[in-house]
Amino acid sequence: MSNERKVKLEIKDMTKLYDNGDGVRHINLEIYEGEIVTFLGPSGCGKTTILRTIGGFLDVTEGDITVDGQSIIHLPPEKRPTAMVFQSYNLWPHMTIYENLAFGLKLRKVPKAEIDKAVKDGLALVSMSGSEKKYPGQLSGGQQQRIAIARSLLLKPSLLLLDEPFSALDAKIRQQMREELKKIQSDLGITVIFVTHDQEEAMSLSHRIVVMNKGKFEQVGTPAEIYDNPQTLHVASFIGEMNFINRDGKTIAVRPENISVRPGTGDDLDGTVRTVMLLGHYVVLNVQCGGNVVKCNVDRELSDRLSIGDKVTLKFNKCSIFDEEEGFVPVEQ
Amino acid sequence: MSKKQKQRIAAYGLVLPAFLIVMLTVAYPIVSAVIQSFQDEKTGEFTWDNYTYFFTEPNQLKNILYTLMVVVLTVVIAIVVAYLLALYLRFTKSKIAKTIGTLYLLPRFVPAMCAVYAMITIIRDSGLINRIGLLFGHDIHLGMMYHASGIITMNLWFNIPFAALMITAGLGAIPDSIIEGARDVGAGKLKVLTSMIFPLSAKDVVVASTFVFMSNVGSFTTPYLMGGNHPKMLGIALFDQFNKYLKYNRSAALSVIMFLICSVSAFVYIYTNLKEKDWEK
Repeated sequence: MSNERKVKLEIKDMTKLYDNGDGVRHINLEIYEGEIVTFLGPSGCGKTTILRTIGGFLDVTEGDITVDGQSIIHLPPEKRPTAMVFQSYNLWPHMTIYENLAFGLKLRKVPKAEIDKAVKDGLALVSMSGSEKKYPGQLSGGQQQRIAIARSLLLKPSLLLLDEPFSALDAKIRQQMREELKKIQSDLGITVIFVTHDQEEAMSLSHRIVVMNKGKFEQVGTPAEIYDNPQTLHVASFIGEMNFINRDGKTIAVRPENISVRPGTGDDLDGTVRTVMLLGHYVVLNVQCGGNVVKCNVDRELSDRLSIGDKVTLKFNKCSIFDEEEGFVPVEQ
Repeated sequence: MSKKQKQRIAAYGLVLPAFLIVMLTVAYPIVSAVIQSFQDEKTGEFTWDNYTYFFTEPNQLKNILYTLMVVVLTVVIAIVVAYLLALYLRFTKSKIAKTIGTLYLLPRFVPAMCAVYAMITIIRDSGLINRIGLLFGHDIHLGMMYHASGIITMNLWFNIPFAALMITAGLGAIPDSIIEGARDVGAGKLKVLTSMIFPLSAKDVVVASTFVFMSNVGSFTTPYLMGGNHPKMLGIALFDQFNKYLKYNRSAALSVIMFLICSVSAFVYIYTNLKEKDWEK
């Protein structure tokens, strides 16, 4: 990331506390123009809280949020240069798709001909042309979310905020929607903030990921940085799969795909095959190594030769040692 | 006997008691009342007289118009107040709102007679308000007893909680994200109210209105205890025809008239339910 990129949104030492004391404290973050940044974390970690303070649906307790250098914390949602897509019930059920899309433009007193064109273009952008006269109730969940995204984009927001927009959709459509969102984002070059608890979604969509836990940022970085060099135990276990193996008083962290398995004994760790699970193009092997169960990804060719109870030995191609104070220290091979 | 036949007999057997009771206590009296309303009192021949009486006799016509006036005012005021209350309960999250939310239904649990008498002791010209006034040297005579204003006040006492209950349920069913979505694209509070909340709760308002309307057209306790001698609410007029003048055919005709007035609001109710099916899946 070069320092010359334009900062779109800046969160400065922002604190938002609820009456019960929950919330987020001292949040600092810069988001650059044209970037997709994902807040990732388990439910209740505060990711939606941050998004809603940006959108104007929650007041901040302390600190500031700026868009293009202008503070927005005193503006009501309708005056902010942001557009939000919610988890569900996004569309107004009593309005047709056309009316849903045109509503914001009408409020801005855009001429009718321009609205018609914008609605048409918006629907084409999300591959929903021809649905103008339908009501939201007549569309599937995935179609409704697409319309919701189109509705937000029509207003040409400076920042698009998405609050787990795909979590109510089934896996296949979720995948499609991600691809579409990514394409739309790169076509239009808008800045997107995305909230999800789905690490796969975060990895596949984002330029940068903010991993959150209990109201704090655990790590901010590109998907590759976060996956390859997790800084905390929570990040390591939340993003992808990670084996933690206790040996000689140390905790060794190794991902399933970084383990080579062969029948026999003598490599880094010996064990016996516990379960064999076929997951399509690869196989997950659970190997019992003393008190630890180690998960390894292997290919079909090997797994076909192994059965439960066989002796195998594991070699760690890439691993780190986790230390409470120093975090993850990569082991040189 | 096949299994299907047995099931059918069992099904009819379960429905039969309810069916008979309805036929005997609802359908039969309605049919016989309608027939009676078209019969001459003495000869039993067909006649319109029982109906023309209520629309030509000035006192009776006044009763009908008076009843409509009282009922319409009750509906309008009750719905407006209930809507404001429901908006407050839906969008305010304070302790006071919570307390009001629990207490506002209390009037539903007070027996009607007790409530009416309680109201009388407060508003009558020698009632509580008058006495408080006297303490400050003012002899206040509200003049609400035996007057439409007293009846309407009492009707509101009964109907605001009921209407608020229905409208609150309707407003509660509007998800926050619908309102937030509208704010997000640039709608101010007033626009959210007119473009989102009103249309999405319109059906509940209509339903509440029709129920309030229907239950007040034939009301008896309140006008009996608080109403004047002239004009009278239709419930009292019917009571007079039936119990005092023993005019059974006219009573039947008046009953049919009241039923027709109610059926106007029933029609509105059914019409709105059908009309909105468009977007309600």
